[in-house]
Amino acid sequence: MNALISNVLTQVCITLIAVAGIYVLTGLTGMFSLGQAAFMAIGAYASGILVIRTHIPFFLAALIAVVMATGIGYLIGYPVVRLRRDYISLVTLGFGEAIAALLNRMTTLTGGASGLTGIPRKVTLTMALVSAIIAIALAAFFKTSKYGRQCIALKGDELAAKAMGIHVTRIKMVAFLLSVALTSYSGVLYAFYMSYVDPTGFGWKKSADWVIMVFFGGVNSLTGSTLGAFILSALPQVLRSMQNYRYVIYAILVLIILNFKPSGLLGEWELTPRHIRETVARVRNKFGAKKEG
Amino acid sequence: MSLQVIINGIATGSIYALIATGFALIFNILKFSNFSHGATMTAAAFVAYFLVSSKGMGLVPTLAVAGLAGALIALFGEFVGFRRILKNHSAPTYFFVSSITLGTLYEGLVTIKAGSNFFNFPSFFAEPTVGVGSLVISTSDLVMFAISAVALLVLAFIIQKTRIGRALRAVSFDRDTAQLMGIDSTRIIQVAFVVSGILAGFAGVFLGIKYTLYPTLGSLVVKGFIASVIGGLGSLTGAVVGALLLGILETILLAVLGSGYSTIAVFGVMLVFLLIRPQGIAGSNVQEKA
Amino acid sequence: MALLEVKHIYKSFGGVKAIQDFSIEANAGEIHGIIGPNGAGKTTIFNTISGVYTPDQGTVILDGQDITKLEQHKITRLGMGRTFQNIRLFKGLTVEENVMCAFDPQSQYGIIGGLLPTPKRRAEEKRGRELCEKYLEIVGMKDYLRERPENLSYGMQRRIEIARALMCEPKILLLDEPAAGLNPTEVGELTELIQRISREIGFGILLIEHRLELVMSISHKIHVQNFGETIAVGTPEEVQHNPQVIEAYLGKEE
Repeated sequence: MNALISNVLTQVCITLIAVAGIYVLTGLTGMFSLGQAAFMAIGAYASGILVIRTHIPFFLAALIAVVMATGIGYLIGYPVVRLRRDYISLVTLGFGEAIAALLNRMTTLTGGASGLTGIPRKVTLTMALVSAIIAIALAAFFKTSKYGRQCIALKGDELAAKAMGIHVTRIKMVAFLLSVALTSYSGVLYAFYMSYVDPTGFGWKKSADWVIMVFFGGVNSLTGSTLGAFILSALPQVLRSMQNYRYVIYAILVLIILNFKPSGLLGEWELTPRHIRETVARVRNKFGAKKEG
Repeated sequence: MSLQVIINGIATGSIYALIATGFALIFNILKFSNFSHGATMTAAAFVAYFLVSSKGMGLVPTLAVAGLAGALIALFGEFVGFRRILKNHSAPTYFFVSSITLGTLYEGLVTIKAGSNFFNFPSFFAEPTVGVGSLVISTSDLVMFAISAVALLVLAFIIQKTRIGRALRAVSFDRDTAQLMGIDSTRIIQVAFVVSGILAGFAGVFLGIKYTLYPTLGSLVVKGFIASVIGGLGSLTGAVVGALLLGILETILLAVLGSGYSTIAVFGVMLVFLLIRPQGIAGSNVQEKA
Repeated sequence: MALLEVKHIYKSFGGVKAIQDFSIEANAGEIHGIIGPNGAGKTTIFNTISGVYTPDQGTVILDGQDITKLEQHKITRLGMGRTFQNIRLFKGLTVEENVMCAFDPQSQYGIIGGLLPTPKRRAEEKRGRELCEKYLEIVGMKDYLRERPENLSYGMQRRIEIARALMCEPKILLLDEPAAGLNPTEVGELTELIQRISREIGFGILLIEHRLELVMSISHKIHVQNFGETIAVGTPEEVQHNPQVIEAYLGKEE
């Protein structure tokens, strides 16, 4: 495959994993995090530093990094799930920017502003693709589980959710931690694909970009969110030749969707196994009918 | 702590106050954080730079053009980003997404014109510093403080004493009721955006003078957010108080901790505020209706 | 000891005394009506019993356990179901999913089952769906499993809300103006439904209602509230003839 296409696809897959996490957090639970990219940074740096310093195998480092990020997520999540909704984005924003500043500052460990270099390149397109499929599948199973239902319930009406016995703070925490785990894993893949990370690019703008992707495709649909992430993360790469115009085009596209189809490209529509089966059956019928005729 | 540090802090704080009030005005009326405010500041400052100050004109025309540009950009944003969402009664989260996208748009447009270069405003003042006793105050700090103070006083007067100000407060309090009482809420929202845009234009020029001008300058809007969190979201007085406190705190921390850790400490302070007193210094705690 | 014992609860907001010295005792199979003009603090009573608010004074005991200071979701799990004055079904979920939400907190699978289709998850989901069908059948909404509640009539939404409350397996059911916005036929059906579930399932029901014909016809006991205070308690007949009640409430209406 063309190296450029393969590069774009690998990066898109890595973004898809993070966006699956954002879907769980924002799409299902209605919480906005502007510090989510910091968890990507934690995943990337922790796994990178572990492998460079201690030479442990990649998979072990990935696991430790995800567990570590989730642990930090628990500490941040504790206040976050108890705060009023409009404050969540501000707290996570503060946390994210603090992490970015910290990474800049802890020069001996992270390489500071000049970045962490020398991470072995372990991630291939196949691995990123498989990871993305697994991440999306986990999010899909989560959505249709008791957790997903309770998330959607409390997103719409917390008081009624509590009155039905839903442990709102716990369910929010579960969603937040799942989101953190997915995001930090995307960070691990990012580090071991780029073989270099620096603190820029993990700020609130990144987190905001992910939220935009989810809204673009359809905030109430995992299929839509995935599609939105695919289009919007591939677009700037494809438009690379147009240099500066790409973000303008991107922004105009999103504004058009927000104004004229606020529920996003796909609305609430989900691609389910039943849809696939029915489509396959229809195609087969048509094909079979033609043959007979 | 020396008086010098406090004075520097107040100077920085007065710019933050411009950012925070512009931000709080919109938060008040639409109940969402306008994340395009930062890029509006940058874009307005760039317009003023290219049209006026790069041609050798002074600070006053620069500010005038920046204010005008800010107002126009904010109006454009209101029309493109928020009008329809408001009309559709979409969830407030849409404002948030829309405002971030608008910010990306403005920043992208600035980048097309300016590349990722840094630009310096010409030095507007003959004397770089003014000595008061043993204190040395930079002339630009002094002038920026004075202009910010005047701008905020004028704003306070407008909001407290004029008909437009009363309408603004009414719409902020309850849009639907205000509409029923014959206030054209769309018009008032536009006014809020214009005022917020003018403040953004001023703040953009001041930030440009202080830190040079570059396309991602707008990310300093975060200081405005922090200030309004400390002061109390939506409260204009709170935003000013929070901004001055933040300016002073930041200058002190900078002197004590150096640049990296002071940023972390500032966010730490904000987090502590959110956890201990989420309503901020000025805000009152609103109990959600069951 | 009664199933639900509310003893001398008080609740004020700022200077407004929303509840002053309210007490009630309810047992399985009983229906207690709470009536009174708007602003009499009726919904606040429900909110305080069900844990949305903590009372300033007084205690609430459910089945022998003090629930006064417990969190809302715990109180629900101990056996308190409720519906809302202005129908609060969950948006973005089907009728079945709405009712399932009240089963989910009791569902016995963990996060692994939340991420993968484990046998345990399948079994629990099946159990939940069966209960769902059972309760939706009781309220006569079994044919609308896959519909979105917002596309159904007001009366149907009321029934779904009742089914969702039944899914909480309540010992005490709080119904907040279940007949509001219904037409006379629907009110008749609802009256029949409330009596039927009270008889068949056998929990205690507290009922806030403006439609006097409904309250009077099915309640065993009626509490009349005015400005946060209880002005009369008794059987429907007693209450109807109480002069204070006639002045404060009935007189005003007729």
